[in-house]
Formats: sequence, C-alpha cells, structure tokens
Amino acid sequence: MIKFLANLCFVGSFCAFALGTLGLFRLPDPYTRLHGVGMGDTLGVGLAGLGLLLLSPTWVLRIKLVIVLLLFWTINPTMTHLVAKAGLIHGVYPVEGTKVIKG
Amino acid sequence: MRKRSLVLFALLLAFWLAISAEVDVQHLLVGAVLALMTVWFWQDLGPRLPRLLSAEELLLLGHCLMTLIRFIIQSNIAVAKTIILSSPPVGPVFVVMRPPIESNWGRVLLANCITITPGTVTVDIDPKTGQFIVHVLTDEAAAELFSWQIIREISHLETWSQRRTKHAVATDRSHGVDSHRALTSDYRSDGD
Repeated sequence: MIKFLANLCFVGSFCAFALGTLGLFRLPDPYTRLHGVGMGDTLGVGLAGLGLLLLSPTWVLRIKLVIVLLLFWTINPTMTHLVAKAGLIHGVYPVEGTKVIKG
Repeated sequence: MRKRSLVLFALLLAFWLAISAEVDVQHLLVGAVLALMTVWFWQDLGPRLPRLLSAEELLLLGHCLMTLIRFIIQSNIAVAKTIILSSPPVGPVFVVMRPPIESNWGRVLLANCITITPGTVTVDIDPKTGQFIVHVLTDEAAAELFSWQIIREISHLETWSQRRTKHAVATDRSHGVDSHRALTSDYRSDGD
C-alpha cells in the first residue's frame, strides 16, 4: 500500500515536471515561463519528496529529506525572484499586452 | 545574547548530526568545533537573530503554511489548465500593490509565499514603502491577489508578534535600481 502511494506521488511529480517543461515551450515570454517552471519546483519536488519520505526506512533519512525540502522551498522562490528582477532591471521585454495594475 | 548564541550552537550541532550519517564521538567533536566556529564567526549577527516564537505564533505560522499548501495545489492546477487548455488564457499582468505589512520578516515571508505559488512571482519590494511588484500569469489570479488570504494571515501574525516586540530591525538598505520607475517609464528604449 505504501509502495503504491509512493509510486502515485512519483507519477504526480513526473506530471508536474512534464507540464512545467511544456509550459517552457507554450508560454510567450521569460516572465511567464518562470510560472511554468515554478510548477515543477513546488509540486514536482514536493511530491517526489513525499514519495521518498514514504519509502525511507529510517528517521534520520526522513529528517534529512525534510531539511532538503525546506531548503528547496526557501532557495527556489528566491532564485525565481532574482531571475525576474534581473530581467526587469536589464530591460527584458515582457510579451505584448502585458498590463500594469496599481492597487 | 548569550542565550541566543547557545540556541544557535545547539541548532547548528543538531543540523550537523542530522546530515551526517551517524552519531559518534568523531562526528560530535567535529560538529561541536564547526558549530562553535560558526557562532563565533557570525557573532555580529547576534542582535539580528530572530527570537524564539511563542506557542500562539507557532500555531498561526502552522496555519499559514497549511493555507499556503492548499493555495499551491490550487494554483498548480490553474497554471496546468492555462498551459494545456489555455483556459483561463495567458494574460500577464504586473501588479503593483501595498499589502499592510510593516516588518522585514513579514515582507520576506509574503514575497516567498507569493513566489512559491505558481502563477505569481514577486519581482521587487521597495523596502521604504513596502510596495510589492508582482508578475501574475492570468488576469483572474491578479484579481484574487489583492484579497489573498495569506496576506491577512501574515498581517495577523505580525500583529501578534508586535505585541511582544515593539520594533523591527531597520536595515536602511535601498536598492541600486528603482524597479518601479523602470517598470512605469519606457525602459525598453535601450533594449534594442
């Protein structure tokens, strides 16, 4: 049963990464492509980690996996933010029709 | 100050033991020496270290994280729909907003929450005014962002936290480039 659940998590992770890669091709500009890749970064990595957590035999391994996941979820958004900010500062074009809403 | 160093030392040692394969004299000794060196090396950062959270704050933070996981799953599905079916269609928006959050840690936490949710990426925060520039994939997500539940939760957490400490650490740092001006002015002209 646990093996089945873990495999389900791995399949979900694979789908998230596959959709993220598809997004790289289908989305129009670098800023929107960041959103596509973000799918693999969050759900893809999360589900892979969950599957490994289910399969891991000892608590030390589980703690390590949780630390890896937490680090991943902290570092990844930071790097995404940096890529977007660097793009904006260096004048990377957003796609035609990008709106600016002030709230 | 001394208590904080001790807590930091214990946390670093625990982290070292967690990532090393086994607990024996050799690992403990090396870990203790390294943790001591790290605490000594970064002692100037002492006053900036976050204080320990109270039980209520931990509960609120836990609730916030649970809500975040729910939003991450929901927005993953929304972004997947946009990529596969183009419904809702791609309509990129730069949202400029000022959430009611004053502290540095609150802003960093919110920026991280926004970026980790697919479909929204924090491009910049103005440290003086607290103005966020967020890139959003679809119009619908942009409309939802203004009344996002996480903003309320972090604001609530901040209110709780401010009851214990009256001031946040002011960094007095400003950014080299004013991204808001870059966004609103014609920054494309030199891109050719």
